[in-house]
Amino acid sequence: MMDDDAKELVRGLQRRDPDLLDRLIEQYQYRLFRYLVHLTGNRERAEDFFQETWVRVLERGHQYEGKWKFETWLFAIARNLVIDWQRRKKPASLDELMEPREDATPFEPATAAEDSPLAQAMQRQGESEMQVSLTQLPVIYREVLLLRFQEEMGLEEIATVMSTPLSTVKSRLYRGLEELRKSITEARA
Amino acid sequence: MNHELHVRAERLIAQERIEEISATERAWLAKHLDECTRCAAMASSTQQALASLRASSVDLPRGLASRTQMRVRMRAEELRERAPGKKILWAITAVSWGLGVATAPWVWHGFEWLGQHTGVPKPFWEMGFVLWWAIPAIIAAGAVILEKKDEQQII
Repeated sequence: MMDDDAKELVRGLQRRDPDLLDRLIEQYQYRLFRYLVHLTGNRERAEDFFQETWVRVLERGHQYEGKWKFETWLFAIARNLVIDWQRRKKPASLDELMEPREDATPFEPATAAEDSPLAQAMQRQGESEMQVSLTQLPVIYREVLLLRFQEEMGLEEIATVMSTPLSTVKSRLYRGLEELRKSITEARA
Repeated sequence: MNHELHVRAERLIAQERIEEISATERAWLAKHLDECTRCAAMASSTQQALASLRASSVDLPRGLASRTQMRVRMRAEELRERAPGKKILWAITAVSWGLGVATAPWVWHGFEWLGQHTGVPKPFWEMGFVLWWAIPAIIAAGAVILEKKDEQQII
């Protein structure tokens, strides 16, 4: 059973309410952009996909029935756009997306202005290790790890976003977690 | 220590974070980690990896939301401008179909009369009637296909 907010969201998307879309863009900008950056490995490309995703939300809003959480639908749209683009570019696995281009802007860890210089330095070092470890992970593992541990999505939600069987999501999570652990341990050794 | 115990511990360390483990399994794992430094180190490194993953952040490009909002609004405007055209097309198709259904008996007699007076064999004028009837359906199908194609190109 949908609550009133969910019903309002469905109705707003169906009538392409511009104010609602403005609010949603504000609300989900960080999570969606972070997901796209990690999925594509490139900030400029992630920004293009970010905008395309919201245009698609506008155009396909009438298809959202509130069956899943909005973010599940949103991430599935973003993911499909990336996959479609990759298929058009050349028929290859999604893994190739993760090969960083030489001209690509590297990940830029956010800095917290209120932290002390030491804390900032430690945070930067930790984030840098994480970014290196993440970029070394194949995208199929990176994606599930991000959805599970950054987005805090449930396993079934992840399966919906990825249009993948639950068993595949689980096996990728186990394998990905192990790969990440090894990678970070090696980076710190 | 038995190798299988380590394997079980490693599996539970991951499972605890990815899915769930029972209270019995949790108790067993806690006991094992107290006794086994290797597995305890593994649990700790897994925890650290996840903590780092959760803490990692990405800078948002300046003005990303406002640029996107503007683009979405422009697209919404385009879609609104195209909407009346689509409605007219559908209305014409519907009226055409309705008229076709309403006038079918007269048209049938018309084709029959024309066939008899021109000496055209019955299957030919019957075929003519079917084609005349099918035209609105063909137009409607064509309109739908064009619309879908257009949408796909845009998206």
